[in-house]
Amino acid sequence: MAASGVVAPTRTEVLQLYRSLLRVARQFSDYNIREYSKRRTIDAFRDNKNLTDPSQVSAAFSDGKAQLEVAKRQALVYSLYAPKVKSIMDIKPS
Amino acid sequence: MALRAAVLRHIRLPVQTLTPNASRAPSQLSLLRLFSSHDDHLTKEEVIDRVLDVVKSFPKVDPSKVTPDVHFQKDLGLDSLDNVEIVMALEEEFKLEIPDKEADKIDSCNLAIEYIYNHPMAG
Repeated sequence: MAASGVVAPTRTEVLQLYRSLLRVARQFSDYNIREYSKRRTIDAFRDNKNLTDPSQVSAAFSDGKAQLEVAKRQALVYSLYAPKVKSIMDIKPS
Repeated sequence: MALRAAVLRHIRLPVQTLTPNASRAPSQLSLLRLFSSHDDHLTKEEVIDRVLDVVKSFPKVDPSKVTPDVHFQKDLGLDSLDNVEIVMALEEEFKLEIPDKEADKIDSCNLAIEYIYNHPMAG
């Protein structure tokens, strides 16, 4: 729906997408995937933060939305095949 | 039999004298306190310390500038994306899920401290 026409998403919508992507990134049980998707989200939003052309902004926004759907689905799929052993990075020194 | 009854009566007596209203009141109160979410709630100082630690550990922040009433974007030179990241980091630190509407409003240490301090689930 948001991809129709050249209506640029509002600032709040962009920030909400950013937050949703970071939230879904947290759900991955595998350390590497979790950290990658977080890093990837932050880098992509930083790369595109100076976009001004409405069509470019809305293209990037709908791309992000598609990625969010992928991430949601993969978080669910990976949760069914969670690694039995924790990554050493997940073990907090007590 | 007569001895047993006498012993029982003797034993029961002190128990009955131990349950006047005065001695029961505090124990009932402490039982009620168990259901109170504010029983072992975080203290304000603890919240302030932990919020400041989270903000200071954010890569782009100069730790020496962080005070309890600092504004993320005006005083620390962060942008709105950093703001979202800090609120997410605070969620992780206090094991909370802050709804989007509330999270959008948190733009300074002061508001973050107030929100977390007043949140019943903050831990």
